[in-house]
Amino acid sequence: MSYVLEVSALKKRYGDLVAVDGVSFNVTRGEVFGILGPNGAGKTTTLEMIETLRPIDSGRVLLDGLDVQQEPQKVKQLIGVQLQASSFFDKLSLTELLLLFGETYGRQVDALALLDEAELRDKAKSYVVQLSGGQKQRFSIAAALVNDPVVLFLDEPTTGLDPQARRHLWGVIKRIRSEGKTIVITTHYMEEAEELCDRVAIMDRGKIVADAPPQELIRQLLAKGFKKERVERLANLEDVFLDLTGHSLRED
Amino acid sequence: MRLKIKLMAASFKMFIRQREAIIWTMILPLFMVFLFSFVKFDGLGHVNVGIVNHSPDSTLVNILKPIQALKISMGREDDELARLKKGERALVLVIPASFQPIGQDSLTLYLNAEKPQETQAGKLILQRALDELVFRQNHLPRHALRTELVNSRNLTYIDFLLPGIIAMSIMQSGVFGVAFGFVILKKRGILRRLLVTPMKTNDFIIAQVSTRLLVLMTQVLIMVGAGVLFFHLHFIGSIFNMIIVGLLGGVVFLSIGFALSGISKSEDQVAPLANVITLPMLMLSGVFFSRSNLPGFAHVVTDFFPLTYLADGLRSIAIEGATLTDVFPQLLGLAVWSVITLFIAVKAFRWE
Repeated sequence: MSYVLEVSALKKRYGDLVAVDGVSFNVTRGEVFGILGPNGAGKTTTLEMIETLRPIDSGRVLLDGLDVQQEPQKVKQLIGVQLQASSFFDKLSLTELLLLFGETYGRQVDALALLDEAELRDKAKSYVVQLSGGQKQRFSIAAALVNDPVVLFLDEPTTGLDPQARRHLWGVIKRIRSEGKTIVITTHYMEEAEELCDRVAIMDRGKIVADAPPQELIRQLLAKGFKKERVERLANLEDVFLDLTGHSLRED
Repeated sequence: MRLKIKLMAASFKMFIRQREAIIWTMILPLFMVFLFSFVKFDGLGHVNVGIVNHSPDSTLVNILKPIQALKISMGREDDELARLKKGERALVLVIPASFQPIGQDSLTLYLNAEKPQETQAGKLILQRALDELVFRQNHLPRHALRTELVNSRNLTYIDFLLPGIIAMSIMQSGVFGVAFGFVILKKRGILRRLLVTPMKTNDFIIAQVSTRLLVLMTQVLIMVGAGVLFFHLHFIGSIFNMIIVGLLGGVVFLSIGFALSGISKSEDQVAPLANVITLPMLMLSGVFFSRSNLPGFAHVVTDFFPLTYLADGLRSIAIEGATLTDVFPQLLGLAVWSVITLFIAVKAFRWE
């Protein structure tokens, strides 16, 4: 099996704090791989080391066979990144931004097609400041796709979004997945991981404590004799909220 | 190369679309010139003389009235003396009741001790008027002055001010524009997002710098143009030379801006630092007032301010028609500052 991303024994230390403590995992081509964990577990730091944004203390990352430390420029050509708190220039329209980002890869992109992918065609001439939270995140994904990346990295893409906007974003991510793109996504929403990921790694205190498909992890837990305090609930509050405010997309 | 051009085009577009930036770099400096154009700093103006005439005779007053250098007010003695004390009069002449055009009367002249230049000039004119009475009576032979009008360039305060204001706005847009601009790009994660693209960081810096230098050239052109059209600027220099000196100054102040954005984490940190650097120069580099009024020890420092070199250089070119050879000392000063500030900028600038 050929891995498109191989991470082995990755470490990052800030003074006394070991933020990432020997993390290893592999991602197969076409897979959606989730990194789950509470805030401060080291998810973002791990991602940033893979994305060439942070120096690696020790360990190794191979992206499509390229060593991230040795050939960061080549790796940058191959990856698409949505940063947790990334924003864009103020006074350029979405179309202009996508064209400019395309140019940084030496590509002349079809901005409208990318906006279609993120369902933002009608905002083509808007500035980023005029977008809602959900629209910003969808644009951020469109900007990460300008180079048709081998691996797409999404760092907590739905944090802070309301349920409708989150579901809308899931729809966008699922479509990208259906096109066969490899995606690495971090989240602290279990539901999101279950919905989107083929496989998840659960991270805590800088270490990976489990790595398997979601259903497999649930099966393992049940096999250990775990029993949830069970009340038969056929719906939860989120279902009520969505029933009352509508599943359909908002101008979010 | 294509990317460089695209980046430049994008950053120019962004600048043009930023209304505040246009106001700061173009409109505000011109507005300052407009305001200052109402202030009359030029020459003595006229001497305020109060006259208290106790005599029925008005021969002397009639001789004095047409003299343009004097601004005459007639009044009662107590009133005029009170005005002298308030500083509204430079001199008050009291003509006694017994005064006759011919005679040996003694006229009293009160002088304002705070205005030595005006009182001295006023006193000479008044004495001359009294002598005139004697000449008229006696038809004595005398030397005559044959006058001839010569047109001078008659430089005004605006001629002094406008090149200074150009220098000032180059400094302000360099230091504040770059420092604030980059701190915001940094703080909001925009630079970080660019770092995950294969773009070379230098290309981005080059695009930013060239955009700002282009804006700077436009600034110089517009300010000189507006000066000539609206403010009677006596511009006799070469606009090309103005731009050369302006660009060199631009490099110095842009570098300071980059250095500041490197050591500051937020806009709140940039503002005081930028002010600490620019305010002393704004006050002491001869932008608004000639530095010749500064005490000697102040010159030791202010002579070497980059803004002093820039303002002096631009001013010599604009109103004296100086060539680049003439402003070599200023060019040299700015070149030395460029090297120093560029070095600091490279050391201090941070992408994150």
